[in-house]
Amino acid sequence: MSKHNSTGLGKPVTVTIDGKICQSTYGKTILQVARENGIYIPTMCYLTKTQPIASCRMCLVDVEGVDGAILSCQEKAVDGAVVTTQNLSLYKERQNIMKLYNVNHPLECGVCDQSGECDLQNKTLEFDVAIQNFTAREPHRPVENWGHVSYDPALCIMCERCVRVSMEITGDEALVLKFGGYSSTILNVKQEKNYSSLGEAAAVCPVGALVDARFKYTANAWELTKIPSSCSHCSGGCQLNYEVKKDTIYRVTNNAEFATLCGAGRYGYKFANTDVRKDREAFARAVDAVAHADTILLSATISNEEALILQKIKERQHLRLVCPEARGYQKFLNAYSKVSGKKLYGGTLEALSSSRGIIVFGSRINDDAPLVKYHITMASKWHRARVAYLHPVADSEIQNIITQSINYAVGSEEAVAALLADAFVSHDKLPKTLQVFFDQIDNDKLFNDAQIKQEAITLLKQSFHKKTGFSLVVGSDLYSHPRVENIAKLIALLEQNAGFNVIAIPPATNALGVAMICDLDDEAKAKSVGYNVKGDFTLSAMGDGDLDMPAMNQQEGTITNIEKRVVPMNVALSYGGYVLNDITNALGFDMEYTIDYTPLLPSSTGYKAERFDDLPDYYDVSGNAHRGYFLQKIFVPTVFELEAIATPHLFDKAVVYLCNSGDQFSPFTYQCEVLEPQTMLRGSQHFAQNYHLQEGQKVSFKIDGVLFERLFMIDASLEGFVAITSYSDMGLSAGLLSSYRFCGVELHTVTNEESRGNKK
Amino acid sequence: MSHLIFSTWGGEFIDNRDKPLEEWSETKFNLPQTYHGETLSKAFIGWDGVAIFHEDIDAVALATHYAAQYQVYSEACGRCAPGRWGGRILYDLLDKIARGEGSYADIEHLKEVSQTMMITSKCEIGKTVPKPILDLMEHYEEQFTTCIDQKVISKHYNGDLSYIAKVTAPCTDMCPAHVDIPAYIEGVRDMVFTESLQATRQTMPLAHTCGRVCPHPCENACRRANLDEPIAIMELKRLGADYETDHGLTWQHPYPPKAPRNDGKKVAIVGAGPAGLTAAYYLALEGIKVDIFEELPVNGGEVAVGVPEYRMPIDKYQKDIDFVLEMPTVTIYNNHKVTAEKLKELDATYDATLLSFGARLSKKVHAENENPKMHGYWGAISMLDKVNLWTKYGIGSSVSNELKGKTVVCVGGGFTSMDVVRCSVREGAKKVIMLYRRDEETIIRNTTYEEYHEAVEEGVEFIFYSAIEKIFDDGEKITKLLVNLFELVPDPNGGRAQLLKKEGADFEIECDYLIPAVSQAADLKILPEEWDIKLTSWGTLLTNGKDFMTSRPKLFAAGDCEYGPMTIVNAVGQAKRASSVISRYIYDGEVSLTDDEIMGDHLNKLKVYNKKEKITGWMPGLPRAVSEKLTVEERIDNSKEVNLGFTGEEAIAEAERCMRCYYISMVAI
Repeated sequence: MSKHNSTGLGKPVTVTIDGKICQSTYGKTILQVARENGIYIPTMCYLTKTQPIASCRMCLVDVEGVDGAILSCQEKAVDGAVVTTQNLSLYKERQNIMKLYNVNHPLECGVCDQSGECDLQNKTLEFDVAIQNFTAREPHRPVENWGHVSYDPALCIMCERCVRVSMEITGDEALVLKFGGYSSTILNVKQEKNYSSLGEAAAVCPVGALVDARFKYTANAWELTKIPSSCSHCSGGCQLNYEVKKDTIYRVTNNAEFATLCGAGRYGYKFANTDVRKDREAFARAVDAVAHADTILLSATISNEEALILQKIKERQHLRLVCPEARGYQKFLNAYSKVSGKKLYGGTLEALSSSRGIIVFGSRINDDAPLVKYHITMASKWHRARVAYLHPVADSEIQNIITQSINYAVGSEEAVAALLADAFVSHDKLPKTLQVFFDQIDNDKLFNDAQIKQEAITLLKQSFHKKTGFSLVVGSDLYSHPRVENIAKLIALLEQNAGFNVIAIPPATNALGVAMICDLDDEAKAKSVGYNVKGDFTLSAMGDGDLDMPAMNQQEGTITNIEKRVVPMNVALSYGGYVLNDITNALGFDMEYTIDYTPLLPSSTGYKAERFDDLPDYYDVSGNAHRGYFLQKIFVPTVFELEAIATPHLFDKAVVYLCNSGDQFSPFTYQCEVLEPQTMLRGSQHFAQNYHLQEGQKVSFKIDGVLFERLFMIDASLEGFVAITSYSDMGLSAGLLSSYRFCGVELHTVTNEESRGNKK
Repeated sequence: MSHLIFSTWGGEFIDNRDKPLEEWSETKFNLPQTYHGETLSKAFIGWDGVAIFHEDIDAVALATHYAAQYQVYSEACGRCAPGRWGGRILYDLLDKIARGEGSYADIEHLKEVSQTMMITSKCEIGKTVPKPILDLMEHYEEQFTTCIDQKVISKHYNGDLSYIAKVTAPCTDMCPAHVDIPAYIEGVRDMVFTESLQATRQTMPLAHTCGRVCPHPCENACRRANLDEPIAIMELKRLGADYETDHGLTWQHPYPPKAPRNDGKKVAIVGAGPAGLTAAYYLALEGIKVDIFEELPVNGGEVAVGVPEYRMPIDKYQKDIDFVLEMPTVTIYNNHKVTAEKLKELDATYDATLLSFGARLSKKVHAENENPKMHGYWGAISMLDKVNLWTKYGIGSSVSNELKGKTVVCVGGGFTSMDVVRCSVREGAKKVIMLYRRDEETIIRNTTYEEYHEAVEEGVEFIFYSAIEKIFDDGEKITKLLVNLFELVPDPNGGRAQLLKKEGADFEIECDYLIPAVSQAADLKILPEEWDIKLTSWGTLLTNGKDFMTSRPKLFAAGDCEYGPMTIVNAVGQAKRASSVISRYIYDGEVSLTDDEIMGDHLNKLKVYNKKEKITGWMPGLPRAVSEKLTVEERIDNSKEVNLGFTGEEAIAEAERCMRCYYISMVAI
């Protein structure tokens, strides 16, 4: 491993700030050291989660022996520096900058959305700027509507935060600066894409220039109650606040200084099960159904506590617990742990964001996990990370962060995993049994099975040459693969032997929690109760079951997110019906609240005996998250055994890839009308020709017994013979899908009449 | 002839107003008193002061126009609060005074805003713009007060003067290709690598190449050196080009290429090296048809067949080449040697011809018994041709057939000789010796520290102050050399020190190969004798170094065949200028320069970088980033690129050290 470090990053330094002696490490800025030590330096443009922007110049400080004022947000703290952050001349210059910021800034705070939480307002007050000293001729600059957000250039102070977020974090690269001195402005160069990730850019706007277009003019900031919670749409479990007035969510915000939130989290909040009353008869039927069920079917959009309740029912009634969304993942993790020696994958998002080489394997990452894609973007921008994208379908949407795209044959994931392991593991450090395994594998056959060229892997290895900090991100294409266990073990070798930071993205909101809490079975038996999944008796938070259940933003509880962190959710909206805990209490359990189960989560898989109300949920001044707790590391015995690599199953039918695109993740996001629904079957020109399909033609096909009816669209960004479709519109059926994500299907064309017939 | 009436330039204070002519002070600076040809300047105003050459100057209008130029040019900046709003207020207030609508309160506001801009601006342009304005307000105060007191428009407000402005930076000025260095570094800092690349390509199409093998004269004019160490300017150029390549982007042009003109005008270019490629690109960017004639089967000139793979990987250089050759109006003819006859034909059929065929004749070392035909005597150019054609293109055969296990002596001291010795090491030579007439310090100055240091690491033996007196052979091949040693003896009268032979220090070296790499000459057989083209005293094509037309109309020259063996960036700079001149010449038959080019030449003469300037407002002591290199073991027997380039954090940290020393200057005529 290379130890190249030409600038001495990380060396200890001591600096004195305002008389306080501060210990830190080289590479941190004066501002970072000051904040770590609780010393305040005013800023306007600084954003902790991006690189220093240095546009506002407010953070000027004096350094002993150095002429002129020093920009503390950008300049690194040099050993021995003696820094003064406050004196009269600094105050004067900062005040003058505030005077300049106020040149022509419209005094329309009364009707500005930012009022009450505006940095300009705050700093104007702080620096005692009572009047607008200067004016200049103001060009006419109309407000622009960019879909989810609107931009008012007249209010914009050109701090550039939004552009940085768009470039460094979300990676949509939609926002760019247009330089032009006084007429400088922000441009949205990808308006046609209507990126919901622009919400992330609006969240960091210090003034009212970039605002939530739907929230605009609906409420004053100070009238809203912030309910802190965790997003329930994917396994990111991001921090968010539901902002509520009169039992209505007006908007979702987050701690945008430090954390990120994708468009689904920010705009997809209308999924509550509203106007529910207690239906005693339905409840009685539900209790009876559970008491007599052979199987409980569940979706992974469920809290840890609910998962535990279901597990307790299983233990008591010896029924089957079936969660198609989490079962493959559980198998993956179990097999993985046999090689890694630890219950869970070792990778973290933080290490991912500082990687220099990243392999993404078995996930359409931009659609599957925006939070993970954001961290890859950070690595790409901050560390020039080589990013290899291994997937059967190329994704042009992430061309800006990918340096190599390897498109292997559908179904050949096991061969690809073996090739990766063979390329990166140190053979001499392997246990004897595995050395023999790798000596015997037939690389030519693997390359042939995977239909990739040997040079592709050679190039991949070369591009990781001399770099340290490798990450491997794997996704749900692998978990549902028939050879999931062998794949998991091969992947685990990259962590165990080759030092990769491996992240196995949980395939659904709380798939990790379910996998860690529930003892899952493979197949359902006859009498089933479904929880957010279609069963013989269905408990549903979507309002269409046999008994209503609360949605995730209507209940207290925790979820276990991709960071292996147990994070709390709170009640944003009221709910008048029964909850799962009521059913189990009726069956003889005795817990007053669902969250009484929180301290009982299984310690055998790393949960702590912590009470829900004791879980912290905040960020400190340096941006460290204090949210819930991390699962404890659990060591397990290793078994170094691999099976021979199987020849992949050949697909002779049309291949449809199940992938919720855009801002869609689940039936719950589908309910949120502001998130664009994706219900087409999208295929390449080739796909259309091969299966004789016309643009706009209606087709149907079945996957795991679930009938899909789709309009076919030609997507110019796709190549090859795989079509893509969402399943977030499948409601209670979505959670039943258990197949490998690439499904061979019989495509039937549907006439309009047949279509009407189906709908009756 | 205009006169210097008043100047605050460069810390001088000259005020010749109301003084008899014989008492007038002179300036030590090369101020642009004559703008161009017959046109005189009335005033010059810039980052370091203001100079007045004409009594009838309107100081208020001059200040106003300078502030206005800052507005115009702020697309290069305008990214900090003080610069953006301060600059606007500066202009608005000055304009108000110049219109006769100003007040004394405006003067106070001007001073206050100027102060804030000078202390808090992000880049030097914002920090320096107020300086000459304050100078004018102080020393030409009566003109300001007249406007205010009498509420009159300043005398030349309504525009009987022209103002020509230019933005530059010390590094940009020093770069022969005048690359907008602060802009491409800013692109790296902002991680908008496409913009970084577009900024580079405004004047430098070979971004991969000059991000790797440029000797970076710019770094000798980096103001950061006044504070701690210069920015690693050259290596930061790679990032944009690598980004385009790594992500498979479409070509990032500095502006969208203009549509092919298809107007029958066409330009011939002889030689597809850095100069030829550069001229072709900028002509093609303007939509002008270009035909390139290249003698070799491969393109890129000396950088392709001279510079070794370990320094300049061909797959990267090929990107630069493809970038040019894929322009719609460019056609290349390979294996097409232009003879004197052919040149006459080109001259007759094209609207202009640019000669850019380089300098590819190895000069002799001038030793006794020097016989270039003797086996073992191998000119550097032909040796490197063979190495590179084999390693990069698989053409010919491996030079290890010749050099493996042999003793190689190279005479040189420049980049070419470094390439010879380091290639010899890689080809398996048993022993490699470099003979150089001067000392270690000079060889580093003539090449780079890295180049010399890496050669030493690889085991090359350097013998300084040495020269070959005699070459011995056995009738078939070279056997040994007689080498003299010299010493530098200072002139007791304070003149230039002289190299004198050290008596009794002669020694012999047994060797198999002698590779002279002392210098190269241009092969001038291409020139039809009857044209009687004027040459320099060192045997290259003579031009005035500004418009690059030779003594024959329609015939231009750029690069090594014009200058003598020089750097890539020099060739690029010359060819860029030549292409600009040609782009006008083929239409109007006039050899002309743009205002921007004229100003550029003025500033270059005036000198933009001031080594003695004290830097304020930046934290000193931030170390310069150094990219990781392959270790000797990892590189010694192969052609892998030695320099691994910056990591992301190194690049950003390095870019953050850049002080954005943009300056704006303006001439009033």
